[in-house]
Amino acid sequence: MVVALKTLIGAHDLELVALATAGDRRAFGELVRRQGSAVRGLLRRMGADATLSDDIAQDAFLAAFEQIGDFRGEGTFAAWVKRIAARLYVKRWRRDQRTDIMAETPEPDMGDTSPNAAADKIDLDAALLTLSPVERLCVSLCYGAGWSHAEAAAALNTPLGTVKSHVKRGLDKLRARLAGKVDSDTREFPAHG
Amino acid sequence: MADRQFEIEIDRLFGEAVVLPDADRFAAIVAERLERGWRFRRLLIGGMGALGGVIGSAQLVSAGLLSHVGGILTGSNSAIRAGFSEARIASHLAEAVTAGAGLDTQVLWMSAAMAVVATILLMTRAIRDI
Repeated sequence: MVVALKTLIGAHDLELVALATAGDRRAFGELVRRQGSAVRGLLRRMGADATLSDDIAQDAFLAAFEQIGDFRGEGTFAAWVKRIAARLYVKRWRRDQRTDIMAETPEPDMGDTSPNAAADKIDLDAALLTLSPVERLCVSLCYGAGWSHAEAAAALNTPLGTVKSHVKRGLDKLRARLAGKVDSDTREFPAHG
Repeated sequence: MADRQFEIEIDRLFGEAVVLPDADRFAAIVAERLERGWRFRRLLIGGMGALGGVIGSAQLVSAGLLSHVGGILTGSNSAIRAGFSEARIASHLAEAVTAGAGLDTQVLWMSAAMAVVATILLMTRAIRDI
């Protein structure tokens, strides 16, 4: 089935998925163009460097093309590929960890969270850098890839309670950064009236 | 900020659309890898199909299946002729069938060729399914 490129660009993701399921590689290419950044971004948030995130994202999209018949359209295509990518990254992460990945890791440098520093624009990527690798991974898996705590625990081969602790600690740190930003925004743009 | 509200905010931040500057380059690399894999698969399927065809043909010849099938076809022709005679079918049909008996060799080779094609198709399908 040959579909004009213009049609592909204007098509909805689900239409592109249907075409890709029928073997249209150009339709799949359009999906990659649209969602590639989101998948790569998630992998970077999990802790992968640019090269590794690109490699894993490529593998994830290739795997997605092979398994596209399994995509039921229950969520978005991007979410589906993110889950595949997250699985691949966790596999890689576990393989690369020579020691127990859930071993206590030293607390990372939280950076300057004083009001002055918080006045700077805080984006999620910057805030995630204040988390330990394991916390960042757990938070990204649960909020970025849409995994449940139980799924993360199973994939990381660690107790559920440990994963929950990592997520909670990670969220607390993010909250501290985010709260600082909200405070600073309020100071910068006081309410009129 | 309440816990739930904060989680929603984190969800939103994670879900924000990000477009990296080299999105097109990334898509091109994936497309190239996809094409490369497809090309390799086509070559593999073609190669295995041809190999399967050769093996199938060799098996057909070595097993003496052709002469056996030839015998069956000859017998079938006789039976058909008898049947036609008994049924008093028009004589030109009977002649046509009789003439067909002389084409046994061609029929056999055509059957073999069809078997080879069928083998290739089956293997192609099987590999695609795998």
